[in-house]
Amino acid sequence: MSTEATLQTAQALLAPWTKGARAPEPDRLDVLIDAADLTAAVQTLHDARWGYLAAITALDYLGKTASFAQDARWQALMASGRVPADGAPLEALYFFAAGRAIVTLRMLLPREGAAIASICGILPSASFFERELSEMFGITVTETPDPNHLFLPENWPAGVHPLRKDFAPGRQ
Amino acid sequence: MDIVKDILAILIFPAGLAVMAGGLAYEWIDRKLVAQLQNRIGPRWFQPAADIVKLLAKEEVLPEGVDSRLFYGLPVVALAGVLTAALYVPLFGLAPAHSFSGDLIVAIYLLSMLTLCSGLAGANTNDRFSLIGATRTLTQLFSYEAPFLLTLLGPAIVAGSWQISEINAYAGGHWLLFTQPVGFVVALIGLMGKLELPPFDAPEAETEIVAGAMTEYSGRGWALFRLGKNVELIIGLTLIAAFYLGGLSDPLGFLLKTLALLLAVAGLQALFARLRIDQTVGLWWRAGALLVLAQLLATIVLKGMTA
Amino acid sequence: MENETREKFIIPIGPQHPALKEPGHFEFSVDGETVTGATVRLGYVHRGIEKAAEERNWVQDLYLLERICGICSHAHALAYSLGVEKLAGVTAPPRAQAIRQLVAELERVHSHLLWLGVSAHEAGFDTLFMFSWRDRETIMDVLEGLTGNRVNYSVNVLGGVKADIDDARADAIRRGIDFLEERTQHYLKIATSDETFLRRTRGVGYTSREQAEELGLVGPTARAANVARDVRVDVPYAAYTDFPVQMTLDTRGDLEARFVVRIRELFESYRVVRQILDRLPAGELTARMPRRIKEGETVSRIEAPRGELFYFIKSNGSDKPERIKVRTPSICNFAVVTGTAKGHQLADMPMILAGMDPCFSCNDR
Repeated sequence: MSTEATLQTAQALLAPWTKGARAPEPDRLDVLIDAADLTAAVQTLHDARWGYLAAITALDYLGKTASFAQDARWQALMASGRVPADGAPLEALYFFAAGRAIVTLRMLLPREGAAIASICGILPSASFFERELSEMFGITVTETPDPNHLFLPENWPAGVHPLRKDFAPGRQ
Repeated sequence: MDIVKDILAILIFPAGLAVMAGGLAYEWIDRKLVAQLQNRIGPRWFQPAADIVKLLAKEEVLPEGVDSRLFYGLPVVALAGVLTAALYVPLFGLAPAHSFSGDLIVAIYLLSMLTLCSGLAGANTNDRFSLIGATRTLTQLFSYEAPFLLTLLGPAIVAGSWQISEINAYAGGHWLLFTQPVGFVVALIGLMGKLELPPFDAPEAETEIVAGAMTEYSGRGWALFRLGKNVELIIGLTLIAAFYLGGLSDPLGFLLKTLALLLAVAGLQALFARLRIDQTVGLWWRAGALLVLAQLLATIVLKGMTA
Repeated sequence: MENETREKFIIPIGPQHPALKEPGHFEFSVDGETVTGATVRLGYVHRGIEKAAEERNWVQDLYLLERICGICSHAHALAYSLGVEKLAGVTAPPRAQAIRQLVAELERVHSHLLWLGVSAHEAGFDTLFMFSWRDRETIMDVLEGLTGNRVNYSVNVLGGVKADIDDARADAIRRGIDFLEERTQHYLKIATSDETFLRRTRGVGYTSREQAEELGLVGPTARAANVARDVRVDVPYAAYTDFPVQMTLDTRGDLEARFVVRIRELFESYRVVRQILDRLPAGELTARMPRRIKEGETVSRIEAPRGELFYFIKSNGSDKPERIKVRTPSICNFAVVTGTAKGHQLADMPMILAGMDPCFSCNDR
C-alpha cells in the first residue's frame, strides 16, 4: 500500500471526529480533533490495525494565541469559557506511524485544568508517554494506570511543569 | 617453659599464618589465571594481602537491627573453623599437624562452618539482598554438601579408613583419579560450589543481589570471611589432591598437584555463565549426587568382591 | 497476614546497583525467588535537554542533542540534522549522506558489542564480557580515526558532515571490520551453543508477536519477536536507499532471539560498511544552511542501535527551535521488563533488563 493510500485510510477512519485536517509534509497527516474524542479515535485506529503509537507530546502556545484566531477548536474552547482571555492553549499531539505515513492527532486543551483521557486501556504502551506528558506539561491524564512521576523527583513542587513555556529554570 | 611455648604457639600460631599466607597466594594465582583466561592483566602478587590489610584497617559498620554478638562473632567462628580444619590435612605435603581416626568427618564439617556462618550472617541482617543471599547460600550448601561428602567417602572406603593421613598414604600408591573419575570431577566442582566461585556464584551474584549474604559486611568482618574462603580454597585443593592425585608426601608434589587443580578450577570459572540457584540445585541432585552414589555403590561392591 | 508480608517483599534494583551501569530504579516484588510484579522509575540523571534546546540556536542544539547519549550519540545528531535540513529545505550532498550512514552503522557495531558484553556480565559470563569489550576497542579506534572522537563523534554538521574518508582510512576501516566479522562469528556460536549461557537465555523473557506490538516494543527487541519494523527499511533516510540493509528477524521472541538478532545485525552492518566504502559517492561534504530555519514542523525518524528514534521538531522561524521532542527507543522497550517480569526468577531480571539494551541517559534527556 502506498503512503498516500495509507494516509487516506487513516483520514477515512478518523473522519467522524475530524474538526480539520492538513498535510504539513507529503507523508504526514495532521488531524485536529476534540480532546473528548481521543479514545474513540485511537480505538478506531487500533481496531483497524493502523500503525503504532510512536510518541505523545504537547506544545505550549504561550504568547502565540493569535495564530489560533481562525481555529474552530480554539473558538469552541473560548466559547466554553474555560480559557481566560490572556491564556494560551496547550496542544497535545499523539503520533501514530505506519511505515512512512505519520498521523498526528492534535487536541487543543485549556491551560488551566487541562485533562485528557488515558488511552492505556487500548494501548498499554502509552503508559510511560502519558506519565511524561502529565508531569512535563501539567496535562492531567485521567484514569492512567500509573499516575506517579516518571522523571521528576518526588519532591518536585506541584503545579510546576518544566516543558511549559512559562517555566524558566533557575528562576522558580 | 613448656607452658610459655604453648601460650606463644596459641598466640602467634605460625602455622596458621602460613596457611593464611598460602590461601592468599592461591587466591592471587586463581585471580591471575582467570584474568589471563579472560584476556585481562589481573592483580599484582600482593593484591589479596593488600586487600586484607586495607579491610582490616577500615571501619566496620554495624547495620541497624542486627544482633551485634552474632554480627561480630560469625566471621571469627568461620575463620577459626577452617583454620582448625587445616590441622587435619596434609598441607604443603607435610604430615597433618593433628590426626586421629575419623578426622575426615571432623574436617568436612569444619569446612562447612564457613558457609553456615556466612548464611547465618546474611540472615542476621535486615538487608533484603542479604536475606535472599543467605537463602541462596544455604540452599546451595544443602545441594552440594551431600555429593561432596560422598566424593570424599569413595577414597575412604577403598582405603578402609576415616583418617585423612591414612587415606593419603593409601592414595600414594593408587591414583584414584583413574579408578574413581566421577568422584574426582564432582569433588572439584563441589569445591567450587563450596567457595561460591563462578558459575556457582548465584549466592553472591552481584548483578542481582549485590554481594548476597555479605552485603552488609565491611572492614574486619568481611576481611575475616575472605581469609576464611582463601584458607578453604587451599584446604579443599589439598584434600582433593591428597585423595585423588596420588597423595601428598612432599612440598614439591603438593605445589604441582594443587596448582594443576587450581588451573582446572580457574578454567572452569572462565568457561561458564552463572547458573541460577534452581539450576545449581537441579544439577547437583539430578547429576552430581546420583553419579557419585552409583560410583560409590560400584566401589563397595568391587571391594566386597575382591576382599 | 503471612501472605501479606510476603507480598510486600520488594527487591529494589537501583538507583544505585551493580546490575545497572546508569541510575534507574526498579522495584520487583518477589515471592521467594519468583517475581510477582515490577515498576520503573526514571529521571535520576534528567538534564532537561528538551527544555535547554529551546533556548539555544539551531547549531548549538546539534551538539547539545548529541550529548543525550554517549552510546548512540550519532543517532541523535543524525535524526536532528535530517529533521532540520528537511525544515530548511536543504539536502545534504550524497557523499555526506553516505558517510552519515557509514558512521551510523559503525556506531551500531560498537553499541551492539557493548551490549553483548553488558548482558554477558549480567549472566555472570565475564569471559564473554571481557572479550567482546576488547573487540569493541577495534571499532572505537576506527571511529576515533575517522572522526577524531571515541564517543561523541560530532561528525554531523547541519547540511552535511565534517569528516572525510580517503583510501588509507577506508583500508583501516576494512581491516577493523574484517577482524570483527571473524570474532562475531565466534560470538554467534557462543550465544547459540553454549550450554550454560542458553540456560539463562532460552525461553526467558518471552514475548509473542502480539504481545510485543501491544507493549510497543521497537528495534531489535521487537524484531526478535518477529515484528517487522526497521526504519532503515521502512523509511530509508540518509543513504539507505542507495545502500539498503536487510531486516533481521527472529520468530522466537525470547532472550536468545534478542541475542541472535543483534549479532546477526552486526553482519549486516559489516556488509553495508564495506559496500559504502567501495562505492562512496564523490562530491561535496556540506550544503549551505540558513541561520534561521523557516517556520514549520517536522518528524524525523531513524533507526538507532536500540530501535526507532523519533524526533519532532517545531520551528518558529527564528534561529532557535520552538520545541524539540525526543522519543528514544529505550522508553518504549522498558515495557518488556514491566510486561514480562511476572513469573520469572529474580535471577532472570537483570538478564531481561539487559536484553532490551536499556539506555537510561537516552530516557533522562
